[in-house]
Amino acid sequence: MPSGFKFASKNISLVELVSKVPNGASLALGGSFLHRGPFAFVRELIRQKKTNLEIIKQSPGYDIDILCRAGIVKKVRAGIVAMEGNFGLAPSYRRAIESKVVELEEHACATLTAGLRAAAYGVPFQPCGGLQGSDIPAINGWKKMDDPYGQGEPVWVIPAISPDFAIIHANEVDRHGNVRVYGTSHWDRIMSRSAKSVLVTAEKLVEDQIFTDQPEMTLIPYFMVESYSIVPQGAWPGSCWPYYEIDYPAVEGYMSSLSPEVLEVHLQAASERLETSNV
Amino acid sequence: MSNSWSPFSYVVTNLARFIRPNEITFSGVNSSMPMLACLMAKRAYDWDYIYINVAGGVDPEPSSIPLSSSDPVLAENTASIFDNEDFYDLCTRGRMDLTFLGAAQIDGEGSANNSVIGDWHSPKVRLPGGGGGAVMLPTAKRACTWRTEHSKRTLVNKLDFRTSWGGFHGVVTPIAVFIKRDGRLALDSWHPESSLEEVRERTGFAFDASTAEPTAYPTSSEIEALRSLDPHGHFERDAAVSMRIAAQAAP
Repeated sequence: MPSGFKFASKNISLVELVSKVPNGASLALGGSFLHRGPFAFVRELIRQKKTNLEIIKQSPGYDIDILCRAGIVKKVRAGIVAMEGNFGLAPSYRRAIESKVVELEEHACATLTAGLRAAAYGVPFQPCGGLQGSDIPAINGWKKMDDPYGQGEPVWVIPAISPDFAIIHANEVDRHGNVRVYGTSHWDRIMSRSAKSVLVTAEKLVEDQIFTDQPEMTLIPYFMVESYSIVPQGAWPGSCWPYYEIDYPAVEGYMSSLSPEVLEVHLQAASERLETSNV
Repeated sequence: MSNSWSPFSYVVTNLARFIRPNEITFSGVNSSMPMLACLMAKRAYDWDYIYINVAGGVDPEPSSIPLSSSDPVLAENTASIFDNEDFYDLCTRGRMDLTFLGAAQIDGEGSANNSVIGDWHSPKVRLPGGGGGAVMLPTAKRACTWRTEHSKRTLVNKLDFRTSWGGFHGVVTPIAVFIKRDGRLALDSWHPESSLEEVRERTGFAFDASTAEPTAYPTSSEIEALRSLDPHGHFERDAAVSMRIAAQAAP
């Protein structure tokens, strides 16, 4: 089997895109807190009633919270988890960890990146600076190594983390599946290089020439992308720069109560839901 | 002006006072007050510095001041994007002059717990986690933090869990500023409407206060800079910082 994804018909519906994820899969989710996360994809995971997912993200918030709220997460590897934007702690995530329904592998953001780098570089582990005196390495069983060249201080080494899928919400794709984002790429680049496959939702499908005119603007080349779906407002209720900002009233609505009815209303109000109901 | 200095302004202004000319200074996620301090320092002082942030901005000029301290507007009018991997690598290779990092509990050595209240494996409260802390606190040249509650449950003798070690250079609360001296947090100054006795009474760790004095009131340019960032007091209201919580009567 070839190593890249080269075929026509990569452009599929959100429902088909999400159906590629089997129960128990590990997913690296792009973006950070309420910014350019693949949130329509995340909601579709809930609608499709996936189970036992492992979520990998340095700074998850809304995404891990709603997945925990729906009860479809088994494990999370994360560095910092909060709703941000004055919304404080992520309540359903917090409840899931405190009740031990979900297993946490606590990272510093950079140690999670180190694990992803190990996978991306094709090596079993990756040194990571810092961590002296922290209790985090011990709870994860991480090892410290002397410098084999005898020049530097000992360093902690983080085992490789290779997600089954990197799930990225992009500003633009072309028909082949080349991916562009505007503003910071957060950790999307290393996620795409460490994962076994990349699934993309994008705000817009644009002409090939947009990409070929400025190839250095492309974050992920098409051959790494298994499939994509055009999902306008796919980062709602978060932001997708420069198209839209955080929808604070929608996040407030989501946070207003932990009742299943509020979750259902929120899922129904999502833009991707409105799109499909019009078809 | 009355002699009253709001605790919100006290925290933001004293964070801004840690920023030094020409240094690389970083503000991150979940960090509205350091974000305001960084933007304030750009306006309040007659020198400049290198401001980078978690939205990828390098000396940005945001068109508005966001609620989320990782909002993309913090990369408006930036000439480059310095993204997440970049600023962590900058820090671990020893070139981050100053970073602001959050903390739920802080001990007398300036280590931080951002992880749990109670036992890590059976937490009473699962907290957000330290984000960059465990990697940045020991590798940045200086790291500073803030707490909007000054009490024995936030400034503790013993952390429930040591998420990050390395010793904060500075800690700001609504009533005090601590600076690291000889490996321990020492009291640098107290809010002029508080007192050394009150700071001692409300702090869980022992500290040296031999050179401490009341904090200097904000200058007119500091006051003007913060007012220009929060002209309608939205951030001040949202932050809801008070000098004393209900259980802490004024002495």
